[in-house]
Amino acid sequence: MEENVKKEELMQDHNPKKPFWEAVKDFFKKDLVQYIVKRVLMFIPTLFLISILVFFVIQLPPGDYVSAHIAALATEGEYVDADYAAELRAEYGLDQPVVTQYIKWIKDIIWTPTDSQFYRLYGSHHNWKYSFAYGKNVWDVVEERLGLTIAVTAIIMIFQYAVSLPIAIYSSTHQYSVGDYAASVIGFLGTAIPNFILAIVLMFLAYKWTGNANVGLFTQEMMQNGIHLYNFGDFMKRMIIPIIVIGTSGTCGIIRSVRAQMLDEIGQQYTLTARAKGVSEGKIIMKYCFRAAINPTVSGLGGILSSLFSGSTVTAMVLNMQIQGPVLFKALQSQDMYLAGAIVMVQAVLVVIGILFSDIVLAFLDPRIRYSGGGR
Amino acid sequence: MKKRLLALLLAGTMVVSLAACGGKGNEDQKDPSPTPTTAAQPTEGTKQPEATPEPTPTPVPVDTMKFSGPPTISGDVTERIPVASDVFVEQVSASGEKLEIGVYGGKLNLMGSSSSWNASRPILESIIHYNTDGTYYANVIKEFSHSDDYKVWTFKLREGMKWSDGAPFTADDIVFWYEQCHLTNFDTKKSWTALYTPDADGNPVYATLTKVNDYEVTWTFASPKYPADFIENGDFKWCWAPKHYLEDLIPQSVYSGSTLSDEQALANAQAKGLSYATVKDMGKAVAYYFWNVPGIPTLNSYVLSTKAGVNDVKGSLCIFDRNAYFWKVDAQGQQLPYCDEIDFIMTSAVGQEQLMFLSGELDMIEVGMQDISTMLTNAGSKAYLRTFSSTNWGSYQVTFNYTCKDEKLAALFANKDFRQAMSISVDRTQVSGLLSDGFLEPGQACPGEGNFGYDADWETKWTTYDVATAKKLLEGCGLVMGSDGFYDFADGTDLVINFYAYVDSTADSAYPVLEQYWKAAGIKTAYKGDYALDAFDQEIDNNTWYAVIIPHTAIGGLSLRSRVAPFVPIAQAAEWYGEYGTYYGTNGANGVKPTGAMADLVTLYEQWNSTPDTEARDEIALKIYDIHKENLWTIAYLKAAGNYNLVSSAIHNWSDNLVSDDLYQYGNIVHYWTLFKK
Repeated sequence: MEENVKKEELMQDHNPKKPFWEAVKDFFKKDLVQYIVKRVLMFIPTLFLISILVFFVIQLPPGDYVSAHIAALATEGEYVDADYAAELRAEYGLDQPVVTQYIKWIKDIIWTPTDSQFYRLYGSHHNWKYSFAYGKNVWDVVEERLGLTIAVTAIIMIFQYAVSLPIAIYSSTHQYSVGDYAASVIGFLGTAIPNFILAIVLMFLAYKWTGNANVGLFTQEMMQNGIHLYNFGDFMKRMIIPIIVIGTSGTCGIIRSVRAQMLDEIGQQYTLTARAKGVSEGKIIMKYCFRAAINPTVSGLGGILSSLFSGSTVTAMVLNMQIQGPVLFKALQSQDMYLAGAIVMVQAVLVVIGILFSDIVLAFLDPRIRYSGGGR
Repeated sequence: MKKRLLALLLAGTMVVSLAACGGKGNEDQKDPSPTPTTAAQPTEGTKQPEATPEPTPTPVPVDTMKFSGPPTISGDVTERIPVASDVFVEQVSASGEKLEIGVYGGKLNLMGSSSSWNASRPILESIIHYNTDGTYYANVIKEFSHSDDYKVWTFKLREGMKWSDGAPFTADDIVFWYEQCHLTNFDTKKSWTALYTPDADGNPVYATLTKVNDYEVTWTFASPKYPADFIENGDFKWCWAPKHYLEDLIPQSVYSGSTLSDEQALANAQAKGLSYATVKDMGKAVAYYFWNVPGIPTLNSYVLSTKAGVNDVKGSLCIFDRNAYFWKVDAQGQQLPYCDEIDFIMTSAVGQEQLMFLSGELDMIEVGMQDISTMLTNAGSKAYLRTFSSTNWGSYQVTFNYTCKDEKLAALFANKDFRQAMSISVDRTQVSGLLSDGFLEPGQACPGEGNFGYDADWETKWTTYDVATAKKLLEGCGLVMGSDGFYDFADGTDLVINFYAYVDSTADSAYPVLEQYWKAAGIKTAYKGDYALDAFDQEIDNNTWYAVIIPHTAIGGLSLRSRVAPFVPIAQAAEWYGEYGTYYGTNGANGVKPTGAMADLVTLYEQWNSTPDTEARDEIALKIYDIHKENLWTIAYLKAAGNYNLVSSAIHNWSDNLVSDDLYQYGNIVHYWTLFKK
């Protein structure tokens, strides 16, 4: 009798039919909270080091915002003298030692006291400083494009995964078939052709075929009146090129890596055993092979949050997309250090959070990582 | 194609006859009593107007003119514009072409730019406006006049003229600007020389501004203030600010008459939707770059939209709406501007604007010379080319530090033969091919054809490629050929000329080309590019530089009237005169006292500056030019490039033969408020 009970318990342990939410609950009960707390605590020194790195790297190029600004004014026919430059530097605190500038920057971001002028004017305890180039608070500049950046990048990512995973599974299960070769060729092309070249070619073709190059995500009318149901079709039309350009390269990468992993898994002993035991092919592929093959892709999710925030810089510039990436580029170019610093800093935070997120998902997906105490 | 473009370039070169200047300005008036320059409208110049698609109706006299406004604006137009006698009637373009009577509606789609000045070009209205022949006329103000001794200048305003929010524009707005924005340096432009005269020690004595009545002010100077340094001064473009809107943004720290703290002023700005980190930032934005700030009333033809999302000049789309109170009308009494709005559309990479132009999303774009042919072929009848002549004195200039600390180098640079050798050792025809695809012709640093002071001999001086002569000249300078194939000084020390260049100049591509020619002539050079402007300023301040390729403040320009500093050593400005300029700029406290021809330039400038008569001034200016021709302190290798614009065929009234210059505010000379779409 006891033997039977033990057998049942043993079987339950290996019984995969536990309800999904139960599995999630179990997973979180175990050691995840401890794991998350530990990782969050590690954020602090990590972000501190990143902030130092960011601030000092941004300062590396010769000159500063004032010199870049004066050069820009000169191209517009406005000449300023060295005294004015010195005045500006003093005003923006750029004449201070870099360490002093850094301490002030990070201190104000973390906590700007209630009795400060900034708090009284803007009601925020986090002063990300002033963007010299935009003439606005840094966070206002970032916020302006945040929604759009997330929306555009999310659409593109959904496209990437929705398209690439089925193709990868098909390719791996139909190795060396015509479909596999076709997917491989497209995959190689997509990976090999630089996005910006593809963007230019597609815009040119769009102009040749339709008379409109579809430069930018929005028509003038959309920029003026926003996106509504009546112009949503136009918006989607303008999304075609960005989706093809940015989506294709990402898609190709995912197809190649998942296909390779799938082929590995399909050749494993456990697959052979399952097949020998008469488990259906669909179940073998989706439940076992795919679950194992997706790990590298999931571990790459760490960068997604950061990508959602910044978008694809070079391609966005070529396509004139009004997202965060080009703002960062311009900020770096004009040495608008607080704006560049804020964007890079937020990206760094998101990368750190993203990596934590992907580790949790990985641990959930792959029992081996869990049981071996992976990540701790 | 090349020939065609060159022909266009030449055809586009302006007759900037400063000798004719002053026809509209009052400086020619010799009457004992203050003589006003009335609200003179630009008359048809010497150029014949191009055939217009439709006959232009005969202008109606102002006193019988029936005024009308855009159908989209309700209300009586006469309530929005100045009284009939003071309204500005725009009949001809800056180049003298008769304007078509336009139709209302549509929008002008222009290229956006993150530069502070971009949006100003099509919209800004200044005290006076220039025609391309150098004559000028009262613009925002109705008329200006001066006393016999040039100490008192009077500005009369247009009665009934209004700010873009409908508030009256009066003398109070000028007094407010001068006392609270300018003298306080709230606008950060107190460095302008137009509003003061120097005392015996060279210290500035600012003019006293007096409000005579709501429509008249006088500027009283301690010593004579001649037109060149006042009404014609390139810096002195405007002198007003909307008192009713800005008064509560000026803190006590700026203007002692105010009771506001800095924080209160910033909070008041915030209440108007304007966010600034410091009062200085705010001052520069609202009192200088005011056209870029939403909500600030202006006198311009178009005003930045107050609609969020489309009113950031650095944004993807920036809209300037028609100023319903604009004070100009066409020859038929229709209130200008014709178009409802100007849309600035930002692009982020080179080439996008070309596709957008071809797609019809942009109405005008600037094109590089290499793209003109392709674009015109693709656009077909949908576009036409307009060329702005340049007033630059040639392309790819190099100049030397004549006051550099290294005495041997200073002596070498000062030797005209050395400069001649540097000039003739370069094959300009090849350089043209390498650097401009053969588009720019060989030339010298001199006024371009059609510009004031043009001299064909000067244009070809020291331009004949001749390495053998160059070597002889160098040897004549005391240099000896070293064993390494490069010239050394007579004492055997190496001669290396270090060329500096500014970041973003085109020197990076020019230097390697020029270097090959200098090397072939035995002149060893080195190059340090990517100099930030103020970093190089420091080199200039410390006098630690030797030579510069593509200088920042190049010699040349429209004339001394536009900017004096590029022509004579009177400030710490242009590289070609180095410390000589510092000497004058600091009243002899620092710098090197100019001698010889350099000193002659200063003497002539002082004569020029104190000569009220236009013709006499131009004669002096030509003498200054002669000295430049003789000495060629700056060498140019190719002629100056123009600015090339493709304009949609739907746009009317875009004149040809315009000139791009700072004095004319570059593209402002198009007079965008007269453009219409059909």
